Amino acid sequence: MSLLLQGLALGVLTGGLYALLSSGLSLYFGVMRVVMVAHPAFLFLAAYLTYTVHTVFGADPFLALPVTVPLFFLLGVAVQRLLVARLAPENVPMMSVLLTFGLALTIEGLLGTFYTGSYKSVSMEYATRSLTVAGVHLPYDKIIAFAVAALTLGVLFAVLVKSRFGQALRATIQHREAARLVGVPTERVAGYGFGVGLATAAVGGTVLALITPFFPASHWVWIGKLMAIIVVGGLGSVAGAALAAVLLGVVEGVVLVTVDATWATMMFYVFLFLTLLARPQGFFGGRLAHRF
Amino acid sequence: MPRLFSRLVITSMCGLALTACAKTDGPGAAPSPGQQQGPVKIGISLPLTGDFSEPGKGIQEGYQVWADRVNAKGGLLGRKVELIFRDDASDPNRVSSDYESLITQDKVDLVFGPFSSRLVIPAAKVAESYGMVFVEPAGAAKEVFEQGFERLFYAAPAIADDHYDYLADHLIKLPEDQRPKTAAYASLDDPFAQGTAYGLRDRLAEAGIKTVVDEVYPPETTDFSPIAAKIAAAKPDLVVGGTQFEDSVGLVRALQELKVQPKLAAFSTGPTLAEFPDAVKGAAEHIVSPVGWSAASTFTGNEEMVGRYKEMFGGPANEDAANGYTVGQIIEAAVTAAGCADPSKECQDKLTEHIRQGTFDTVVGPLSFDDKGRPEQAHMIQQYVDGRIEIVLPEQAKTADFVYPKQAW
Repeated sequence: MSLLLQGLALGVLTGGLYALLSSGLSLYFGVMRVVMVAHPAFLFLAAYLTYTVHTVFGADPFLALPVTVPLFFLLGVAVQRLLVARLAPENVPMMSVLLTFGLALTIEGLLGTFYTGSYKSVSMEYATRSLTVAGVHLPYDKIIAFAVAALTLGVLFAVLVKSRFGQALRATIQHREAARLVGVPTERVAGYGFGVGLATAAVGGTVLALITPFFPASHWVWIGKLMAIIVVGGLGSVAGAALAAVLLGVVEGVVLVTVDATWATMMFYVFLFLTLLARPQGFFGGRLAHRF
Repeated sequence: MPRLFSRLVITSMCGLALTACAKTDGPGAAPSPGQQQGPVKIGISLPLTGDFSEPGKGIQEGYQVWADRVNAKGGLLGRKVELIFRDDASDPNRVSSDYESLITQDKVDLVFGPFSSRLVIPAAKVAESYGMVFVEPAGAAKEVFEQGFERLFYAAPAIADDHYDYLADHLIKLPEDQRPKTAAYASLDDPFAQGTAYGLRDRLAEAGIKTVVDEVYPPETTDFSPIAAKIAAAKPDLVVGGTQFEDSVGLVRALQELKVQPKLAAFSTGPTLAEFPDAVKGAAEHIVSPVGWSAASTFTGNEEMVGRYKEMFGGPANEDAANGYTVGQIIEAAVTAAGCADPSKECQDKLTEHIRQGTFDTVVGPLSFDDKGRPEQAHMIQQYVDGRIEIVLPEQAKTADFVYPKQAW
């Protein structure tokens, strides 16, 4: 019983991390039907930058954020305006896979060149300790990841719901042509949307650096998981993706402690499969998925 | 599309034609004196990118250090050694076509093996079909030796299942009251990693040390806390990880977070890499690992290899490089004894025969092989003692005493 509780608690915390890591993906897809295979590669690019800030300046990994977040926002705008916007509009979902796959390979190659292929890690004093509540151990690094995820997603929601930019972005997500008719500069909004997506990757990368050691090819194992999360959550729905992330995190944790790790990893694909069979638009998501 | 198709047809026809040529002039054709004049070309495919890029590069460096040394003293049989590298991106399909084209198109004289059991098996199949002797630096899983290969030799002290033999011997011989009672095993779903952990598990289980957790996780696993939670619930005396790098770090951190304090923690590959102590901070102390090579050992050519490696690559040599170098040493001895280095059946037969019979002095110690190509020696056991890597087992090679039980992490 306590093992089950432990699995559940770890699952919720890990789910929070998944929510943070996948939030960018649903933005890209929502805003411009871009399947962003390079998102995990950007996460690890951020992890490497965090590593540099940490080792060169001896600073806390989170102090990298004031540098990486704006940098990634600009990078996102640039990627959208210079690359994604040039794809033929009728074929964006397909071509964007190829384009971003190329981006992922480029990033991996550059990381290998600058940082070599050896493992890097950022290990902080607090990353190996845990808080014990009623016999359940809650690792501090996971708590931090969860808190950062909650904070980032909170800010993201506030921006999407309250701000004028958020309204324009949501209008662009919901109906691009109509948004343009009422005067939303959808091109520019799409660029900013992409920038915001990559900015979440900057935050996610820092958290990831705290939790796991990494090398240039680390991003591949994340693509499948994160894609499964946003499909289950409903493509284009940031809230749906967050809920799906926590759900899948919990399922993974519980299956892991009750059955085994192979089944736990498979759960992502089982859920992906079930979603596509039963509710292709996603369990929590909007009406967008049928266009996929 | 039609054009693409016809191009494919043409390419595959060319491929077939080349294969056919190679096969017809391979066997029996006596090496003409002219052929013997050029460099000795050695074909190698390695995972220089992808999952195994790190160890792949280590092996490559080992091969390069060996070639550099051989060339500096005049080459093999008076011919310069030329290494031809291909990158298989850790992909078992690519590795086959790499060796196919190295043998048929580049017409290499010899081949050296790639890294990891997963790539060694497909590579050895190709080499075997062309009758090439295949000495490999990193295919230790028992499946490698169950394929009926006749020209494969594994150039390291022991196969995966025997890596922990000295540790098993030691634990089993402990007096009853000190002996661990329970053990938890977590292993990556990989033939080598599982081989190491299960080799130890089977021997300890036989001796009455109970297996309380036996977990296998796929390579995509990114979160190790729930596995650690299972281990925590079982409170084992021993934690054994059949690991590579990230998972060993992930497990150590997760076990710390879940306050698991075993008397002994053993992990396969991770702790032997230089990045490990930094990645786990202070927790490396007293962790044990099997290790096939030590920089401080005085085996044949080891000092020279370490020195030359530092000169060429500027850092301390590692086990992967040593394994690559070992392959070179064995081939070098065989070529010198057989007096030939060309792809003809006659020469490859002579080389195979020589390697099967002989004992070779290498940087990992003297090596000999059984009829399946398995090495007949055993791995040493290393342990972090006072922050330094020391050899603790076997008795005759030790640089420090084995610490058991370990300090808390």
